[in-house]
Amino acid sequence: MISHRDRNAQRIAALDERAEALGLKRGMGIADARAMHPAIDIEEADAQADRLLLEGLADWCDRYTPLVALDGADGLFLDIAGCAHLFGGERAMLDTMLTRFLQQGFIARAGIASAAGAAWAAARFASGSIVAVGEEAALLAPLPLSALRIEPAVRESLESVGLRRVGAVMATPRAPLARRFGALLLERLDQALGRSDEAVSPRLPAAPLSVERHLAEPITQIEEIERLTASLSQTLKHDLERRGEGARALGLMLFRVDGAVSQIAIGTSRPLRDPLLIQKLFHERLAATGQEYEVGYGFDLVRLSVLSVAAFDMQQTDLTGEIKDAEADIALFADRVRARLGDNAVRRPISVASHLPERSIALVAFTDAPASKSKNRVPSISLSERPVRLFRSPEPVEVPATELPEGPPLHFRWRRALYRVVRAEGPERIAPEWWRESIPDAMAKEGEDAGEVKNRAVAEKTASLTRDYFRIEDAEGRRYWLFRQGLYDAGRTSPRWFMHGIFA
Amino acid sequence: MKPEPPCDTPGASRYIEFGVQSNFSFLRGASRPEELVVAASLLGYAGIGLADRNSVAGVVRAWSQSKHIKPAADAAPAAFAYRPGCRLVFCDGMPDVLAYPRDREGWGHLCRMLTQANLRDENEKGATLLRGADLLEWGERMSLAVLADLSRAKDQMTLLRQIKDRFGEAVRLAVAPAYRGDDRFRIEQAAAMASALGLRLMATNDVLYHTSARRPLQDVLTAIRLNVPVAEAGLELAANAERHLKPPAEMARLFRRYPEAVEETWRFKKELGFSLGELQHNYPDEPTRDGATPQQELERLAKEGAAERYPGGAPASVTERIREELRLIEKMGYARYFLTVHDIVRFARSQGILCQGRGSAANSVVCFCIGITPVGPDKIDTLFERFISEERNEPPDIDVDFEHERREEVMQYIYAKYSGKRTALAAAVTSYRARSALREVAKAMGLSDDVRSGLSSSIWGSSSSELGEREAKAGGLDKADPVTRQVMDLANEIMGFPRHLTQHVGGFVITKDRLDEIVPIVKTAMDERKMVEWDKDDLDAVGLLKVDVLALGMLSCLRRAFDLLEDHYEDAHDDYGRSYTLATLPPEDASVYDMICRADTLGVFQIESRAQMSMLPRLKPKEFYDLVIEVAIVRPGPIQGDMVHPYLRRREQKEKVEYYKDELKAILGKTCGVPLFQEQAMKIAIVAGGFKPGEADELRRAMATFKRTGTIHNYRDRMVNGMADKGYPRDFAERCFKQIEGFGEYGFPESHAASFALLVYASCWFKTFYPDVFCAAILNSQPMGFYAPAQLVRDAQDHGIEVREADVNFSGWDCALEEAAFDPGKVLARHGDMRGVIKSRHAVRLGFRQIKGLSDKHMEAFVARRGNGYASVRDVWLRSGLDVAEIEKLAQADAFRSLGLDRRAALWAVRALDGKSAAEKLPLFDRPGIALRELEPEAALPKMPPGEHVIHDYRSLGLSLKAHPVSFLRKRLDGCGVMPNALLASAKNGRRVRVAGLVLVRQRPGKGNAIFLTLEDEKAVANIIFWPRVFDRFRPIVMGAKFVCVTGKLQSETGVVHIVAEKIEDFTPWLAVLQEGAGGDGLASESGEAQSNGHGDLSRQASALLDSGTQKVMPKGRNFQ
Repeated sequence: MISHRDRNAQRIAALDERAEALGLKRGMGIADARAMHPAIDIEEADAQADRLLLEGLADWCDRYTPLVALDGADGLFLDIAGCAHLFGGERAMLDTMLTRFLQQGFIARAGIASAAGAAWAAARFASGSIVAVGEEAALLAPLPLSALRIEPAVRESLESVGLRRVGAVMATPRAPLARRFGALLLERLDQALGRSDEAVSPRLPAAPLSVERHLAEPITQIEEIERLTASLSQTLKHDLERRGEGARALGLMLFRVDGAVSQIAIGTSRPLRDPLLIQKLFHERLAATGQEYEVGYGFDLVRLSVLSVAAFDMQQTDLTGEIKDAEADIALFADRVRARLGDNAVRRPISVASHLPERSIALVAFTDAPASKSKNRVPSISLSERPVRLFRSPEPVEVPATELPEGPPLHFRWRRALYRVVRAEGPERIAPEWWRESIPDAMAKEGEDAGEVKNRAVAEKTASLTRDYFRIEDAEGRRYWLFRQGLYDAGRTSPRWFMHGIFA
Repeated sequence: MKPEPPCDTPGASRYIEFGVQSNFSFLRGASRPEELVVAASLLGYAGIGLADRNSVAGVVRAWSQSKHIKPAADAAPAAFAYRPGCRLVFCDGMPDVLAYPRDREGWGHLCRMLTQANLRDENEKGATLLRGADLLEWGERMSLAVLADLSRAKDQMTLLRQIKDRFGEAVRLAVAPAYRGDDRFRIEQAAAMASALGLRLMATNDVLYHTSARRPLQDVLTAIRLNVPVAEAGLELAANAERHLKPPAEMARLFRRYPEAVEETWRFKKELGFSLGELQHNYPDEPTRDGATPQQELERLAKEGAAERYPGGAPASVTERIREELRLIEKMGYARYFLTVHDIVRFARSQGILCQGRGSAANSVVCFCIGITPVGPDKIDTLFERFISEERNEPPDIDVDFEHERREEVMQYIYAKYSGKRTALAAAVTSYRARSALREVAKAMGLSDDVRSGLSSSIWGSSSSELGEREAKAGGLDKADPVTRQVMDLANEIMGFPRHLTQHVGGFVITKDRLDEIVPIVKTAMDERKMVEWDKDDLDAVGLLKVDVLALGMLSCLRRAFDLLEDHYEDAHDDYGRSYTLATLPPEDASVYDMICRADTLGVFQIESRAQMSMLPRLKPKEFYDLVIEVAIVRPGPIQGDMVHPYLRRREQKEKVEYYKDELKAILGKTCGVPLFQEQAMKIAIVAGGFKPGEADELRRAMATFKRTGTIHNYRDRMVNGMADKGYPRDFAERCFKQIEGFGEYGFPESHAASFALLVYASCWFKTFYPDVFCAAILNSQPMGFYAPAQLVRDAQDHGIEVREADVNFSGWDCALEEAAFDPGKVLARHGDMRGVIKSRHAVRLGFRQIKGLSDKHMEAFVARRGNGYASVRDVWLRSGLDVAEIEKLAQADAFRSLGLDRRAALWAVRALDGKSAAEKLPLFDRPGIALRELEPEAALPKMPPGEHVIHDYRSLGLSLKAHPVSFLRKRLDGCGVMPNALLASAKNGRRVRVAGLVLVRQRPGKGNAIFLTLEDEKAVANIIFWPRVFDRFRPIVMGAKFVCVTGKLQSETGVVHIVAEKIEDFTPWLAVLQEGAGGDGLASESGEAQSNGHGDLSRQASALLDSGTQKVMPKGRNFQ
C-alpha cells in the first residue's frame, strides 16, 4: 500500500488488490487503516520516482512520435498526427503499443481520438477504442463527469444539482451552465467533443538536430554502437557545417527492445563537430558508464541528437598548434582522469567539525568538495594548537612518571628513545564521541538503583576513554603532541600514553 | 551517587557553586534544579546558587528541595545555603554576569530588569533582549560575578571597568577551568585582569549538569537546540564532560594557585541575605466598608451571607463552623484572599455570568455563605482544615468556573481592576512527555523518519510513563541494539524536562505590591496577556495568591437555559415569583431522579457517558449526595483502586459493609466503607497509614509529579506496611494506595464532586421538565459534552419535542424556541414515564449556527436585514450582505424551503449569482420586490431523492430532520432478520439477536479490556460489548466501519441492556443506496478493470466512486479512551 501526505494527514494513495479486498480505500487515513489492520505494509509514496518512471515511459514513446507530453501524474499524450502510417495505421499502432506495454509489465489504457479530450476519456473509460470524428458525443454521453477533466469542485457542484453524466451536461443549455460553472467547463466539453482545438505541449523540445537509425536486428555489442555513432555523427557534421554551428552537448539515445531507453550525454568545453572527436568522447563515456545501461536483448533504435549548439568560431591557432588555457587544462585533466578511473579517483581533503583530532579531517571526492559548507562552521580550534603533522594512528609511548592526577609526563619513551620533558602545556581534555560507543552494562552495587548504576557506567566509560592532550617540548626544543587515554581516578584500567603528532 | 570522603583541604568545604544552570536554561542545562541541590549537598558543598539564563523559572523548585536538606550529623554545623539568582546573558557584547540579589529589594531589581528585557516591543515571544544598560540601571543591591570572555580580554576590560565603576565592591570576576589546554594561562590572565581592575577573583565550574553522566544528554539538548543530529553537531558540542558539580576538594585543587578564588565564594554567599520565603502573603487589598480590616469585612460578609442562605436562621452547627473557620482564616491571614475571590464572583454575577467555585479551599462554609460555592454544609461534609492546614502554611486554592463564552469578560475585569502591574497569568511548564521525548531524542540521534513515526505512534495519549521494550518494538527496533538503548535511555532521562513556558489556561496571580518586583513577567502568545515565570506549584510554594478563572461549557448551556426559560415560560419561577437561578431551582425533585435512574441522561453534565449511564440504573440516585457519589465514582481513581464494584455491591446490599476498624467508620461511613473521594484516601493514609496530615498531602502531590522525584516506592511501602501493621488486610491497603495513585492526576475531592453534582442536577432538571429549552440551550453552547448535535436533536424529538429546520426566513444565529403545542403522544414509549412530566410548549427552530461554514457576524446582519422576509435567492443576495459562497452554504443546508425552493433548485439559483457581493452591482434591474424573470432557458433538473437529501443534510448540518439514514434500509434489514434497537428493551435476556446501526462511539475505558460500541438506528441506540478475542478477530470492522450489523447475546442487568458481540459485519456499502444514481443506473467506475472494446457496456458496473462520497459524509463515530 502506498501512502502520501495530504494536508498533514497520511492518506492511502494507491493500493493493490489484496489491500482492496481488506476493505481499504483510496483516500482513507493511514491511522484509520492501521487501526483496522495493524499488519498492513505501508510505503511512503515517492512522487519523484513515479515521475521518473512516467518520464521513462515518455522517453520510450519517443519512438512513436517526437511530440510526447506528460499528463498529470499518470498519463501521456502522444500527438500521432502524421505518424500513424509509419506503424501500419492507427489500429495497428494502438494494438502494438498496448501489447508492448503489457510485455513490459504495465497495464496501460489508451484511446485514440481526434480531440485530445475525447482521447483522454476514451483511454480512461473505454480503453482500446478509436473514436472517429463525430462520434465523440456518443462516447462521452454515458460517462461520469470525471471523464471531462474538470476540477473536483466543479464536478461536485454539478453533481449537487443532479447533473451526473456528461450527457446530462450536454443536454443542458449552455448559457446557464457557463454562468454557473464557468467557461472552463464548456471549454473542456468542447475540447472533448472536438469542437475546439487543444494544444498539447510536448515535454522535450525537439532537438535542433537529430539523426536516427531503426535496426531490423537489435544490436548488442558496444563496438556496433560506436560504429553506428560514428556514422551518425558523420551525418551530423554536414548539418552542423551548413548551419555554422558546433555541438556543445550531445545525446545518444539507445532504445532497447523491451522499452527501456538509455541516454548517454556528453558535454564539450568547446563547440565540436569533428566526428572523430565525438566518437572518441562517446568511446570513453561508453567504456566508463558501462554499468549505467544494460544491453538486455539489444537496441533496435539509435538516435544521436545535438542537445545544444553554439556558434562555431574557427580559431586561428599559432604555429605550434597549441592553445593555452590553463583552467580548462585542469578541468580537462580532472575530467579525463575521472572518466577513465571513476569519480572517486580524484580526492581532496576537507576539515570536519569534530573534537577528535583523527576525525577532524576527511578526504572527499573532487566533485563533492563542499566549498561553501565548510565555511559555514568556523572551527573554534585554532590551528596553532594542532600539530603540523598528525599521525594517522597514535603511537604508544611509555611514561614512567607524571604529576598526579592530570599532570604532563616528566620523561617519555617513544620509538625506543627517551625524551626529557622541559616544557608542557595542558591538559586539553577530549572525551569520546559517546554516540559511537555503546555503554557497557554495569553491575549494581549494593543500595544503588537502576538510574545510579547507569550513571556510574556512563561516567566510568567516559572517564576511561577520555584523552588529555599535552603539548610538550623536549630538551632539544622539539615539540610533540602527547595524550593520555583514561583519567587517573577512573578506576579499573590504568591510563596509557600515546604520541599523536609532532609540531614542526 | 556515593558521598565523597570529607575533604582535608582547609576551606574546601566552604566552596559554594554559583555558576549553575538547570534545565530551566532550556536546551542547555541537563539537570533538574532538585537534582543539582541534592547532588551539591551530597558532595559536601556548603551551599549552591541557581542562575539560569535570563530566567528564575527554576529557583522555586530548587528552594523547595533545599528545605528538605537536613545537615548530616557529622557535617559542618552551618545549614546548607541555597541562593536564588540569575545568569544575565546580554545581546550587546556584555559578558555573562551571575547576579544574586542581596535582599528583598535586590530581588525586586532583578525581576524588574528581567521584566524590562522580556517585554521589549521588538522581542519575539519568549526572547529576552537584555542590554548592558539594563544591568547598569537595575544592578543595585545585588552581588555580581562577571564571567568575562578571556579571548576578548581587551574590550572586556572596558566593559568590566564600567560595571566596576557602577557597583564597586559588589563585583567579582569569575573564572572557570575549561580544559582546553590553556587553563593555567587563562586563570592567570583572569587574575591579572582582576587585580588590574581592583576586582576579586571568584572560582566557579560553570555547571550544566550535576553528574558527568549527563554529558550525553547535554549533547542531545544541544543537538535539539541547533536542530541537527548529534553526529553532525561537531564542534558545537562540548569537547568533554567537565561541566558537572565537582567535589569541593577538586575545585580547591583546580584553583590551588588561587585559593582565595575558592574562598571568595564563601564571602559572596555571606553578602546574600535574600530568601524566596520573603515573598509570601502578598495578597491584594480589597476595598472594605467603612475602612474595616479585611478580617472584619470577611466576617461581615459571612454573617450577611449566612442570613441570606438560611432565611430561617443558620443552625447552631453552621454558626459554630463559621466561627471556627473565621478563626483559622484570621490566624493564617487569609481574609484578603477570600475577599479577592468574592469580588471576582460578585462582578461575574452582576454581569449575569453564571459561575461557581470549587477546589480545595472552596470546601468551606464561609465560601458557601459569601456565595463562592453553591453547595452548603448540609449536603456534604466540609473539611476545611484539610485544605488550609496550619502546618503546611500554603495558601488556599479556589478555582472558579465561568461560562466558557464569557470568561473573557471576567479576565478583562481582573486586568482592569489590578492592572498589569499587579496581575498576570500563571505559567504552565510544558515538559517532555513520552511521545515528544522519544521523537526529539530519536531525531537528535539521527534515526530515520519512519522509525521515528513508528516509535512515537506506539505511545497512546500524553503518557509520561517509562519507555521500554514495547515502544522499541513498535518502532521496529531491537532493545538489545546499542543505539536503541541509548535512545530509550536518553528519552527516559529527558522526560519531564521543561521545554518552554506557556500560559496557564486561567490561573491569575494577583499581588498587593508590584508584581514585576516579585517575579519576572514575560510575554505570551497573545499580545495583551502577560504571564509570570512560575507555575502553579511554584506559586503555591512561594505563597502567592492565585485564582483559577476557568471556563465550563455546561455553565454557558445552563445560563442560556435560564434565559430561554424566563423568555418563554412566564409561569416558571420560584415560590417568591423570582426567576430560577442555580441556587433556587426546586431541589430534590423526584421526577428528576426518576429520569436519572432510567439513565435518560443524554446531554446532561457529567453523567452522560456510556460508563456513567450504565452505572445509573445500578446506583439509582435518590438524593443529591447520590449524585455526588455518581460523579466521583466513574473516575480513574476509584476505578484503578478497584473500588467501584465493592461499592455497588454494598449499596445493593449484596455484600456486608465492613470497616475493619472503627476509626475508618468515621471516614467511610457515608460511602459504605469504600473510599471514593480524595480526602477519604488521604484520611486513611493519616488515620490508618500513620502519615502526618502534611505528609499525606505531600504524598498526593508526589503522585501527580512523581516523574520529577521518583520516590513513589518509599511512600507505597510506608503506607501499606503502616496499615498492615495496624491490622488491615494487605490488599485493602494496596487498593487504597492505588487509589491515591489514580487521584494524583484525576482526583475528585468531595467538594469538587459536589459542585459538579449541582450542575448535574440543574441540567437534569431542565431536561426533565423542559426538553425544548435544554435542547436549544445545549445546541447553542456547542461544542461541548459527549454527544453530537444529531443525537441531542434526536433525543429531544424522542421526548416529543418538534424540531424545525433552519430556514432563511425563520432562523436566527442561535437555535430558538417557537410556540407549538406539546403532544404527549409523540413521546416514545421508552420515555413514556415522561409524558405527564414534561412541561414544554415550544418547538425548537434550528439556528444558522448549525450550518457549517457560516459566521455569526454575517448571519446576524443577515437576520437584521431580513425585514418582512426574503423573497428569492436573488433578494437574499441583494439585501443580506452575504457573499455568494455563504448563500450557497444556505442552499446546501436546504434553508430556502420557505421560498418554495428545495436544495437543488436553490443551488441552481445561487450558482447563477456572480461576483463577490451584490454591493458592487448597479441597482438598475436589481431592485428588490420586482420579480424579474430570469432571461435564460429553463433547465430541467432531476429531482433529488430523499436519501440524497439526508446525505446532504448530514454534510451541511451534521444531522437530518427528514429521516434517519438507517430508515431507508429498514426493509433490507428486516429481510436479514435484524431487530430494531427500540425492541431490545423488551427482548428476553440471553437471547441471540442481530442489530444494526451507525457507529456513534467506540470506547475503551481505562485499562479495561472490553471495547464498547454504541450503534444508532432510526429509533434508538444499542450498546455493544466486544471482548478482546472477538475484537481482535473483527478489529478492522469495529474500527473502520460506519454502519455495522452485530450478532450477539443480549444481556440485561438492572435495566441496562448490552449485546455481547459474537460477530460483526460491515454494512457501510449499504449506505450507497441512499445516494442518487446508485442502484439501477450505476456509472462506470474509474477504478474498474480495463474494459472490453467499445463503449456499449459502460454502465454495467456499479459505482464504487459514488458511494465513497456517501461514506465520507456519514459520521465516523468518535473514539474515546
